[in-house]
Amino acid sequence: MRCEQVKSLLNDYCEGSLSEAMRERVEAHLRGCAACQRELQFVQAIWRGLRTMPEVAPPADLHARIMTHVRANTRAREAQGRIALWRWAGAAAVAAGLFIMGFFAAQSDGVQAAFGFGAKPNPPVQTPQPVQAGVFLEYRATADGVRVPVLEARMNREATAELRYAPEGDAKTEPIVVWSGRLLPGKTVEIPLQTLLHTSGERVLTLRWTLEGQSRVLYVPAGYPPAKLASLRLQAKLGDALRQLASAYQTPIEWAPNGAEPLVVLDVQDATLEDALQKLLIGSNYTVKRHGDFWRVVSR
Amino acid sequence: MSIYDYSSDEVLIERFKEGDEFAFDLLVRRYEQKVYQLAYRLTNNPDDAADVAAEAFLRMYNSLKRFRGDAQLSTWLYRVVSNVFFDFRKREARHQHLPLEMPTDDDDEPYELPIEDESVDIMGHALQQEQKRVLMEAIQQLPEYQRVMVVLFHIEERPYEEIAQILGLPLGTIKSRLNRARNALRQLLEPYRELFGVEESPTTGVPQEASDAL
Repeated sequence: MRCEQVKSLLNDYCEGSLSEAMRERVEAHLRGCAACQRELQFVQAIWRGLRTMPEVAPPADLHARIMTHVRANTRAREAQGRIALWRWAGAAAVAAGLFIMGFFAAQSDGVQAAFGFGAKPNPPVQTPQPVQAGVFLEYRATADGVRVPVLEARMNREATAELRYAPEGDAKTEPIVVWSGRLLPGKTVEIPLQTLLHTSGERVLTLRWTLEGQSRVLYVPAGYPPAKLASLRLQAKLGDALRQLASAYQTPIEWAPNGAEPLVVLDVQDATLEDALQKLLIGSNYTVKRHGDFWRVVSR
Repeated sequence: MSIYDYSSDEVLIERFKEGDEFAFDLLVRRYEQKVYQLAYRLTNNPDDAADVAAEAFLRMYNSLKRFRGDAQLSTWLYRVVSNVFFDFRKREARHQHLPLEMPTDDDDEPYELPIEDESVDIMGHALQQEQKRVLMEAIQQLPEYQRVMVVLFHIEERPYEEIAQILGLPLGTIKSRLNRARNALRQLLEPYRELFGVEESPTTGVPQEASDAL
C-alpha cells in the first residue's frame, strides 16, 4: 500500500469502518511508515479536538430573545388583546418614591431596591430615577380567543427569583418549582401558567413568588373574566379565604404574608370583591388596595 | 422537580396544537440550549447563533401544527436549524470570514509566560484553547453543507442515519460528503499541525512540548 492511499483511508480507519482486510493492510503500512503514523496522529488529534469541543454558554437572555422573535412574527400575537391585570404604577407616584402595587421601586444606581412589602422603601437618594420592577399577571388571548394567564417578571438589576406552585390541600408536599433563575435588568421573564392550570385542574393556582428571600403569594384563578358580584360564607385562615375569593370572583389576588396568618370570617350576599375583602380584613392588620382588576392585600 | 419535566414532547406538542402557548414555551426551554449549541458551531458567533436559534423556533412555532412525529423533535429541530443557517448564509453573502491566523497580541493584557510549576498546565490549557479556536475557524472555512456535516458528526456526535434525516440526503451521500469535508478540514489545519501535537520532523514521534508550539 502506498502512503497516499493510506492517508486517504485514515478517517475511515479512525471511524472503524474499514473492512478487516483493509484495516490490516493499513496497519501493516503504518508499522513501517513514520510519516503515515504522524498523519494518523494528526487525524486522531483533529477528531479528538472536535469531540471535546467545550459547550458554549448561551447568552442569559436567549429565552427572552427567542420568545420575543416568535411573538413579533406570529399572527397569534397580533390577535392578542392584552389585558394587563397588574399594571405599572403611575409615573408621578413613582417619581415621588412611593411603593405602588407591591412593586419595588429602586434608585437608578441599581443598588437600592426593596421588595414592595414588609420592608419599608428606602428614601430616595439625591434625584432618583426609579426603575420599576416586579411581577405582573396578564391575560393574553390565544389564536382561538381563549384568555390565558402569563406571569411577567421584571427587575431593574440582576436578582435571583423563583416561582413555586403549591398544590391545593397538599400542605406536606414541597411546592413545585415552576420557574427559577436570574432576572436581568431590562429583560422580562415570561412564565405562562396555562399548562399548569391544565395539569393541576384547580380553580385557583396558589403560587409563591420569591425574590431574594422575600415572597408573596399569588392566587391565580383559572376562570375569566372577573365576576362583579358573588355570595360567600366562610371561616378560614386568611390565605385560604383569599384563595376562595379569587375563585369566586375569578380575580387574581396577591397577598404579602406578614407574620401570623389570622383566622377570618365572612358572610356576604351579592357583594362586590371590594366589599368582601373589606369585611374579611376587619380586625386584621391587613388592608386591601385595588389596582385595575387586581387586588392586593398588604400589611397596614 | 420542575413542572417542565412532567410532560413528554408529544404531550406538549398536542397541547400546543390545542392552542396552549405555555406548551410552546416549555418546548423552547427544553431545546434552546441544544439549538443554540448547534447554531453556535455553525456560525461561530454568539449573536448570529442567537438569531439562528430564534428563527428556528419561529419556524417551529409556525410548523409544529403539521409535525407528525415521524422523527424525534430534536432531529427535526436540527433540520430546521440547518435550514435557517443555509438561508442566513445565502442572505448574508457579504459575511466575512476571519482569516485563519494565529492571534495577534493586540489585547491589552499581554500573555505572560508563567514561571511556576503550574506553567505546564497553563501552557497546556492555552494550547487547548488555541487548538479549539483554530478548529472552529477552520470549520467556518468549509462550505456550508460540509460544515453542517462535520459539526453534526464530530461535535454533536449524531449518527449517520440521523444526519441523513436532518439534511434529507441519502446515507451514501452523507458519507462521501463527510469524507470530503474531513479532508478539506485536514488541509485547512495543515499549517497548525504542531497545535495538534504533531510535528513535521521525521526524527521524533513524541508530541512536541507546549512551549515550542507557541
